Amino acid sequence: MGGPLPLDALGPAGAYRPRTRTTVTDVTGRPVAELGLVPRLFVDRAVSALRRATEMPEDERVAAIARAGEAFASGTVAGLPAEEHQRLVSRVSGLPVAVVRAAAAHTARAAADVHRAVRLARPAAAVDDWRDPLTRTGRAVWTRRGDVLAVHAAGNHPGVHTLWLQALALGYRIAVRPSTREPLTPHRLVTALRDAGFPADHLVLLPTAHEVADAVLDGADLGVVYGGDDVTRRYAGSSRVLAQGPGRSKILLTADADPDADPARRAGLVVDSVVREGGTGCVNATAVLVEGDPAPLAEAVAERLAAIPGLPPQDDRATLPVQPVDTARALERHLREQASGTTAWLGADGVVEELGDGSAVLRPAVHQAGGPDAPQLGVEMPFPCVWVAPWHREAGIAPLRGSLVVTAVTEDEKLIDALLAEPTIGSLHLGASPTCDSGPDMPHDGFLAEFLMRTKGVLRPV
Amino acid sequence: MSHDFEQLRDPDEFVRAAMQWHFGPDTGSPYWLDRARSLEFDPRTDVRTFDDLSLFPNIVNELRDVRVEDLVPRGYDGDARPVGVYESGGTTGAPKKVVLLEDWLTRNLGLWADSLKEHGVVPEGNWLNIMPSGPHLAGPFTTRMAQRSSSVVFTLDMDPRWVKRLIAEGRAEDARAYAEHVIEQAGHILRTQDVRFLMTTPPLLQRLARREELVELVNRKVDTIIWGGASMDADTRYLLRTEVFPGTRLIGNYGSTMALGSANERPGLGDDDPCVFDTLSPFITYTVVDPETGRRVPYGERGRVVMHHVSRSALFPNNLERDEATRTEPRNGSGGDAVADVAPVATFDDTQVIEGVY
Repeated sequence: MGGPLPLDALGPAGAYRPRTRTTVTDVTGRPVAELGLVPRLFVDRAVSALRRATEMPEDERVAAIARAGEAFASGTVAGLPAEEHQRLVSRVSGLPVAVVRAAAAHTARAAADVHRAVRLARPAAAVDDWRDPLTRTGRAVWTRRGDVLAVHAAGNHPGVHTLWLQALALGYRIAVRPSTREPLTPHRLVTALRDAGFPADHLVLLPTAHEVADAVLDGADLGVVYGGDDVTRRYAGSSRVLAQGPGRSKILLTADADPDADPARRAGLVVDSVVREGGTGCVNATAVLVEGDPAPLAEAVAERLAAIPGLPPQDDRATLPVQPVDTARALERHLREQASGTTAWLGADGVVEELGDGSAVLRPAVHQAGGPDAPQLGVEMPFPCVWVAPWHREAGIAPLRGSLVVTAVTEDEKLIDALLAEPTIGSLHLGASPTCDSGPDMPHDGFLAEFLMRTKGVLRPV
Repeated sequence: MSHDFEQLRDPDEFVRAAMQWHFGPDTGSPYWLDRARSLEFDPRTDVRTFDDLSLFPNIVNELRDVRVEDLVPRGYDGDARPVGVYESGGTTGAPKKVVLLEDWLTRNLGLWADSLKEHGVVPEGNWLNIMPSGPHLAGPFTTRMAQRSSSVVFTLDMDPRWVKRLIAEGRAEDARAYAEHVIEQAGHILRTQDVRFLMTTPPLLQRLARREELVELVNRKVDTIIWGGASMDADTRYLLRTEVFPGTRLIGNYGSTMALGSANERPGLGDDDPCVFDTLSPFITYTVVDPETGRRVPYGERGRVVMHHVSRSALFPNNLERDEATRTEPRNGSGGDAVADVAPVATFDDTQVIEGVY
């Protein structure tokens, strides 16, 4: 291969190569791509062009998304075969290549299923078209809340880009601002969608410097933004921007549940929830609450996690995330500060395993906190890091609030009722289902279409 | 000792004569005569060449508090004719004040007119300043320029310090509303009046560019847009020239209040060329230095911009600006450097851990 891959902005009139570029490096610091960064003026004009675009018929959209998903996952896009793309994403993001590969396959499945998936969110009484005879007696028609959606994407996991395909299926024109850390995935997906028939003025990729990021949201009708607590707070009151904040997924194990369960099986549930997807996802477990003494479980989990080998991300057997050494050390320092006052079962001597090429594996960490209200239970790290704490009935569901996913292994139906009623919990798994499991009909933190769509009353004379 | 040193064109000779003027007991300003006592060198004997201007400390921060009368050289002998007092933006603390004297304004306007002519601009017609109102230098320059052809300057009300405060307080929505309020004022003028020259800043020009109606009016009516007061990146410049305002001439302008003026971009640059600013040597000059050592960087390399203003009316040497630029060979072999691709100094955050997976 030649020099770094040129990654152009994908504007409303085609690819655009800006003079301002930033280098995308892999975890060893080697340049992989040169990403062009567009200025505010380009963003403003691109978003205006999206607004002016003529809507593509729904059937064509849905078919094009399916074709694009297939090409994205297994075809050659912009001259880059799927395996080569996945290897690069793995090298750049530090995610195990097997995780990247699985995410691509998942994207293809989601793309093929997109029409069915969005309709899961449609209120049962609503129809799609004002021409539906039901509107003659008055009916809800399911309509978009706007025309242009801005997405401030995250770079932690290629799977995040699966979500906005639903908006595209619903007829939104989309401006994706990729993460400058990992822009390869959205660049490939947008390119594949264009190859599959989406006109350039329906879907743009606008890499920008940090200062210009807001401009992408400014011009759009609605926005989806990934980020930390700061982002969640900033958009807390906004009906226009949907913030995708930290996941802080958790597992609750009560004493009544399968008291004779093999401790190894319980540890397996935790381990899977913590390390699957490389441990970098919002659905990975951050904390485990155990009724009774949490030490045996923490010990068993630590033992299992300790045995995982540290490998470069592009190794097929790799399961742990890799970062540049500096980043890894900074995360390690942060973990050490946060862990003060807890007992380390794993990671006391550090979590950084240098690979000797400038990159380092982030090894799992298991800490035991003193109680269910320990602040550490909300400390979500971008690698397998879990806080285990004792839980008791009096603590109730308070320690489980603010979780994207809660896996509750319990027989206590009252507790389950309370968890279901709790508005700050996104998904509830009952029984030994890892937090990262999902089914094709399940929403991820609610259906995106709940945010994108509304019902509108339509009545016309017979 | 020549009091008419502004006729000299050799930069070294010019600087030597200027030192005699600004530090002569009968001709220097009260500020500089007093300030000279705490300098570690004698400007009249030690500043022999243009490059020796770098001996001076950067005194611009002192201009926040100096009485403006103390800035006027005594050599004018009561005949200084101040045009007005102008202030820096106030980005970093209290604004700095300078006095603009008539003789310098006249000379600078002459240089400006020459430069516009080189750009092929016939400076006859009305101006619209979409610029800060109040104590900002752009005002008197455009007013005089318009007067030369019996034309007028349309102005509007705009307080950039209020906008900065809104932004500092995180009131982005209010800042946006204020900017729109400014554009609305400009829109009314563009709709109803003949405007041939538009003077504005890059952020406001981009805000104007969002309104198709105003873009159409500008392309139809305006001959030349002069932008300044902030930097413009190469991509924005390219898009403005080729896509947004193809019907007009777009000329960049770079300077500062502390330089008492500004220079237009080099004539003849293409849409894709780096935007180069030549100095108004020997009066307003730039050098591009390594901020650590203070030494000039080689041609073609990035460094911090230092500005000097040397005229009869004022001496503001060795002012380290908050801009970076590529050091470029000057056109006329004069003192100082031409500067290209000017941009604010990049600030780098230390590696900061932000919790969460995103």
